[in-house]
Amino acid sequence: MSRLAKLMMALLRELADENAYRRHLDAHGRAHSAAEWRRFSEERLRAKYARAKCC
Amino acid sequence: MKLLGHLLWAAVAGAAAFCLGAIALNRGEHINSIWLVLAAACSYATGYRFYSRFIAARVMALDDRRATPAERLRNGHDFEPTNKWILFGHHFAAIAGPGPLVGPVLAAQFGYLPGTLWIIIGAVLGGAVQDFVILFASMRRDGKSLGQMAREEIGKVGGLVALLTVLMIMIILLAVIALVVVNALKGSPWGTFTIAATMPIAIFMGLYLRYWRPSKVLECSVIGFALVMAAIFAGRSVAQSAGLAPVFTLSAISLAIAIIIYGFLASALPVWLLLAPRDYLSTFVKLGVVLMLGVGILFVRPELQLPAFTRFVDGTGPIFAGKIFPFCFITIACGAISGFHSLISSGTTPKMITKESHARPVGYGSMLLESFVAIMAMIAACVLQPGVYFAVNSPGGIVGAAPAAAVATISSWGFPVTVSDMTNLARDVGEHSLFARTGGAPSLALGMAHIFARTGGGRAVIGFWYHFAIMFEALFILTIIDAGTRVGRFMLQDLLGHISKPLGRTSWMPGVIATSALVVAAWGYFLIQGVRDPLGGINSLWPLFGISNQLLAAIALCVATTILLKMHGARYLWITCTPLAWLVTVTFTAAWQKIFSPLPALGFLAQADKLAASATANTAVTQALIFNARLDAVVCGVFLVLVATILLDSVRVWIGILRGTREARVCEAPFVLSQLRAEEL
Repeated sequence: MSRLAKLMMALLRELADENAYRRHLDAHGRAHSAAEWRRFSEERLRAKYARAKCC
Repeated sequence: MKLLGHLLWAAVAGAAAFCLGAIALNRGEHINSIWLVLAAACSYATGYRFYSRFIAARVMALDDRRATPAERLRNGHDFEPTNKWILFGHHFAAIAGPGPLVGPVLAAQFGYLPGTLWIIIGAVLGGAVQDFVILFASMRRDGKSLGQMAREEIGKVGGLVALLTVLMIMIILLAVIALVVVNALKGSPWGTFTIAATMPIAIFMGLYLRYWRPSKVLECSVIGFALVMAAIFAGRSVAQSAGLAPVFTLSAISLAIAIIIYGFLASALPVWLLLAPRDYLSTFVKLGVVLMLGVGILFVRPELQLPAFTRFVDGTGPIFAGKIFPFCFITIACGAISGFHSLISSGTTPKMITKESHARPVGYGSMLLESFVAIMAMIAACVLQPGVYFAVNSPGGIVGAAPAAAVATISSWGFPVTVSDMTNLARDVGEHSLFARTGGAPSLALGMAHIFARTGGGRAVIGFWYHFAIMFEALFILTIIDAGTRVGRFMLQDLLGHISKPLGRTSWMPGVIATSALVVAAWGYFLIQGVRDPLGGINSLWPLFGISNQLLAAIALCVATTILLKMHGARYLWITCTPLAWLVTVTFTAAWQKIFSPLPALGFLAQADKLAASATANTAVTQALIFNARLDAVVCGVFLVLVATILLDSVRVWIGILRGTREARVCEAPFVLSQLRAEEL
């Protein structure tokens, strides 16, 4: 049950781009800050919304 | 143990056959929805266990020793090895749109059986195969897109056709889903207020995420959801307020104009402000509601009120004209086979797969789940009394604009319904009227509300659940509208950039405004056309959307067939050629009938001729309707030409490969041994 809950939380974090942000911080060796989040989310959202959403 | 396994799977396959037989052979009695659930679940389990395993092992030869693009090209952004079940949810959230919800509701006009069988069989043998093969192909090609693969595997013509098709589908898709929202919200102050409230809520979320609590997306989404729920509760008071209700009571044409203006503004605004926060919210709401509906159906186990077949199998249906073949297979695309999925399967997902074997649950399995969503939508539509279902979904131009005329027509079809039935139902859900709400969303919302209310609360809460369902549908449709307009704008800028360099720059504001306006004008034109159509708009626009979507599936299957041919020769061609042949037959027949059928309700040209011969032929309104019918015929004709082009080009390539006059080189990335450690898998 707790594994399922962990998996669900991980899925929600993936859908919320929170996992991607953590990976971004790890990959660039940076710490979280408002400016860093803005930099990440602008890049992420630009790529995300250049693709068609499914019908 | 092995024998026990064989016995178990034989039992599951037997149960699938038994349940399918039970729903197919039952006549004259209401059946319980659980039969549909069991038939679907057992068929999916059998298809997944045997068919997808056969494709994975024999055809694709999935190899977990081979490093995937997520490992080889890992960059912490797009390319990232991801847990199988997280990727499954991610992929499912990406492919699940309004299509599997609306299509089955519309196709229920034939009865529950044709649509249900198509959803189950189409998904197991067609849709899931397409998604799986394209995902596999993209994964073996460093995550290349469908267009890139079409160009490489078939040729430049295939790539260009794929690009043109996507652009045309986008325009028709945006128009038709905007029409669904318009028809759900017209004359509904409660619904309109709730949806209007989601915009300031989304902007608040955008500001919250950017300035107050950066990166706290889940926290922000919980707050956003609480505010949306508060808006639904407040909507009832707004609808009952003498001062506020008229402000939010909009006609169809006013709503269409509002959505067009919204689409233009939203596509030009920064994504973080409106689009992204609402997208997060709508994704979570979508997954939650799908889960709730599944649990609700299992808990309530409602009886289906619609028969297995209705009289409209003869093609005289009020919601859309045309016989079961081909129109059932055009109307339900996303729940059975959807070309749009091939864009997702060759988009983000192949870049996140950790091991090759994960492509099977993610590609094949996600589509089966999407198909199950379509089955739930079919159940939600069929739990309504048939008279109510047709009164909600039939346009005034067919059954009569006045309530008395509409119920008389519908009752004369053998589906009794009275004006007081409809008035009471409308009062229960807090609406003025539920007549002629074409588009599928209101009847789906009614069915969902019916199921949710039976889990607790009864009639007292049916109004809340109805508006909750409308909010859920409108929320993610509007997200698709502004994201789609933005994507259409990028495509157009890409194209126009060859003529004028500044127009191609996404940072040049005049170019952004001009191309946004062009894209919005294109889908806005079809939306207004749908709103003004006396036959309800859905009759012409939904088949156009279905044809275009299936056309994209045909392109994806052409690419998949070419790849299988290069890998194995003709041995496994039947896997993709069978659904391809079916889709081509369906698409050609449907497009041909939509253009050339002599029946005015079905054929665009016959409809234009009938209008031209009418007494009001010279009025501006009729002239516009004549032009629209001819324009639709041209659009349909373009789709036919596109199908023929890609098909002929593919057949030319296949013949060349089979004769040995063309190189059968597989364009896969070279084998690299995976270095991922067990804990990373």
